[in-house]
Amino acid sequence: MSAPFMVSQTAGLVLAVVLGFFFGLFLERGGLGNPHKLTGVFYLTDFSVPKVMFTGMLVAATGLYLLSDLKILDMNRVWIVPTFFWPQLVGGALFGIGFLFSGYCPGTAVAGFATGRLDALVTMGGIGAGSLVFAVVYPAIEGFYFSSPMEGATLPSVLGLSHWVVMAFVYVMAGGMFYVMERYERKR
Amino acid sequence: MKKDNFWSPYIAGAGLGLTLLATFVIVGWGLGASSAFSLLTGIGLDKLNPAYAHKLTYFTQYLNVEAPLLNWVLFEIMGLFVGALVGSVAGGNFRVRFDKAEHMSTGTRLVSAFGGGILIGFASRLARGCTSGVALSGGAQLAIAGWVFVIAMFVSGFVGAALFRRLWS
Repeated sequence: MSAPFMVSQTAGLVLAVVLGFFFGLFLERGGLGNPHKLTGVFYLTDFSVPKVMFTGMLVAATGLYLLSDLKILDMNRVWIVPTFFWPQLVGGALFGIGFLFSGYCPGTAVAGFATGRLDALVTMGGIGAGSLVFAVVYPAIEGFYFSSPMEGATLPSVLGLSHWVVMAFVYVMAGGMFYVMERYERKR
Repeated sequence: MKKDNFWSPYIAGAGLGLTLLATFVIVGWGLGASSAFSLLTGIGLDKLNPAYAHKLTYFTQYLNVEAPLLNWVLFEIMGLFVGALVGSVAGGNFRVRFDKAEHMSTGTRLVSAFGGGILIGFASRLARGCTSGVALSGGAQLAIAGWVFVIAMFVSGFVGAALFRRLWS
């Protein structure tokens, strides 16, 4: 039997709690429940966010493509995050400002609230309100929301390169970034 | 101020990556967060004003489901809360507080926390997910979505920090 496994809804929800537990544990232990650390990257004072985030991406990407090459994981049955270029570019840019103002993102707001931070609860309320605003204006922006679809496009598929060539670029880029961050932090 | 005894960000990041990998392998999709907020808002509105909630096309995806609360991301977020709580208590880092930059007034913090949240909530729906569902999960799949989102987010965060220099520093 190859992964991903088909699980019943009940088993899926139990797994969701377990996987979520480790997600929250590692976020908090990495310092990502703390808005000072979360916004530090934008002021070049604390690089916890890119360090945790890109290490996580590298580890998961390496494992994902390795297990796929070893035929342990059937990549065709993994749901690939769909790309809609312009809405995601604009969404990412708006998100960056919201992240900077609040000091949180949705997952880290929950982690921050779990460390006793009441301001994170205010942000959680704001995220709900923002979802409502989106739902209200949705008919007017539906065209934009579905524009520039690229469905399951990935860097290897678009660039026409092997996924390990792309990964090599990502390792070098992340390694260089970590090196610069460490040097910069030591100098301060 | 007592220094928080966090783990090395590389160790925490590796743990996060293994958790994400386990999620891909076991259930066949990645981790998420923002959709739980949208789901709860849709369900909450349906309780308060069902006629209006059903008029909002975007929310009907949650309301036309048999048991909308039995949602994978919602359960994952409950686990996330417990995991972060255990982490902060074990790390001696749990304290009930209203966190803000030192010079920030409580009023400013209320506005920045709530206003920032509104932007995040709106942007996450437009981008079909947030730092978890699009940036982290999509980025690890080498999906275009993840890298477009993450680059746009950091560029705009840096520009924003240059414009609002005194917000957090």
